Amino acid sequence: MSGLQPGVWYAIAAEHDLPKDHVYRTMLGGHELAAWRSTDGAVHVWEDRCPHRGVRFSLGEVVGDELRCQYHAWRFGKTGACTFIPAQPDLKVPRTIHAAVWPVALSAGLVWSGIEPTGAPPELPPGAVLRAIPIARAAASVAHALVKEPLSGLALVLQPLDETATIVRGIALDDDLVRADHALLALRRRLEQAA
Amino acid sequence: MTPVDPILWNDWHPVAARCMLDPARAHETMLLGVPLVVTINADGTIAVQRVDHAAPHQDERYGLVWVCLGTPTREILPIPEADEPDRPIVVVGSVGVRASGPRVIENFLDLGHLGYVHARYLGDDPHTRVLPYTVEPLPEGGIIATQCKMFQPQASPAATEGFMVDYIYKVERPLATCLYKANPVQRDRFDIIFLIVQPVTEETSIAHPLLLCLPDGTTPAALRAFQQTIFMQDKPILENQVPKRLPLADGAELPIAADKSSVAYRRWLSAIGLTWGVIRADEKARAA
Repeated sequence: MSGLQPGVWYAIAAEHDLPKDHVYRTMLGGHELAAWRSTDGAVHVWEDRCPHRGVRFSLGEVVGDELRCQYHAWRFGKTGACTFIPAQPDLKVPRTIHAAVWPVALSAGLVWSGIEPTGAPPELPPGAVLRAIPIARAAASVAHALVKEPLSGLALVLQPLDETATIVRGIALDDDLVRADHALLALRRRLEQAA
Repeated sequence: MTPVDPILWNDWHPVAARCMLDPARAHETMLLGVPLVVTINADGTIAVQRVDHAAPHQDERYGLVWVCLGTPTREILPIPEADEPDRPIVVVGSVGVRASGPRVIENFLDLGHLGYVHARYLGDDPHTRVLPYTVEPLPEGGIIATQCKMFQPQASPAATEGFMVDYIYKVERPLATCLYKANPVQRDRFDIIFLIVQPVTEETSIAHPLLLCLPDGTTPAALRAFQQTIFMQDKPILENQVPKRLPLADGAELPIAADKSSVAYRRWLSAIGLTWGVIRADEKARAA
């Protein structure tokens, strides 16, 4: 159902989407994800769901090097393991209580994840990462349109959100960011207006 | 389409509060996926109609309008305390919530969230430890949790200081629960709060809280406002639970000892074979 190819790295956020103390929420192939940074700057990508009662982690809070669930304030460390349960402060937390951790890589100003991705994320030319443009079309049709009519001056990466929507991120290869952004918006209009 | 759960289909559910009905405007709502129209005449007569079918069984009690879509197999939920003369019923108001009915009930039973979701009202950091309590089955079905204790900074509008509050929780019907809570003034008597959930669809609900509190000088408006504040703190949590339907399989979520009443509630729903608003133990979890 996810339409994700195992072994492939997908860009799920720009690095600038993840300031300190923020929990960034996104989707990849129908999977809800939460991304956050620990104090060392490392990025963590988890299933956006506390294993205790299913509340989205993205509702929660970053406390130092831990993510705290908003429902019962259970804390989860960088490895995803639960470290503290305030309702039972003396409990040695069982190792089975663990967030579902996704692979993560940083490159080209982007945060990458995927299902058992192999190797390194794709090499991209240097340039500024533009704002994410969501398009209400499946990734396959966006990719198809880009093959038919490539956009010049831009390197593009696609994030399939689910079967109906895709985020396009552009890396501007020159300094004309406005033109590059307009090109992406025009792409969105063209695709969403197409029957 | 999922066949509608016979347990809920043949039970009574609130679909409106009398105090919120307006003669100038029909009240449109939904019960178990069935659209309903509730009207009130200038003389106060209430009628519930189905668009596609003869009028369903209907009645009024505790300030709420109740409907049974099937064949009633039992009475409307009895609340004996509603007959006590010194206990006025306060209808808190109906609150829509994008969560399944069982998730809403389970949250009401939950002690561990009080110090965080209701911080400075019903609990507070660092008094977040859930002390051991007892959960037992009720003879007529359902569960009861006793000896629940929680330190509460502001247990009710009348509370002037924090104190250790004793609670008893009961679930007598799959979508009706209540708590007995020591009154902040008459500490040897209980205030009672009911939460009755109208199952709208499998993943949406309308909560109908009722207060049966001993008069302590708090106006009904203040009681209502307090309870609405509390519910509004729960609503974003409930609407961010994934999956929306309550998973009943052991191990689907990870309870600890403090979650004993949740475990008992889920097991009871499994045992009676409830299918609405839950992911049954034998069903593979559908995507959220």
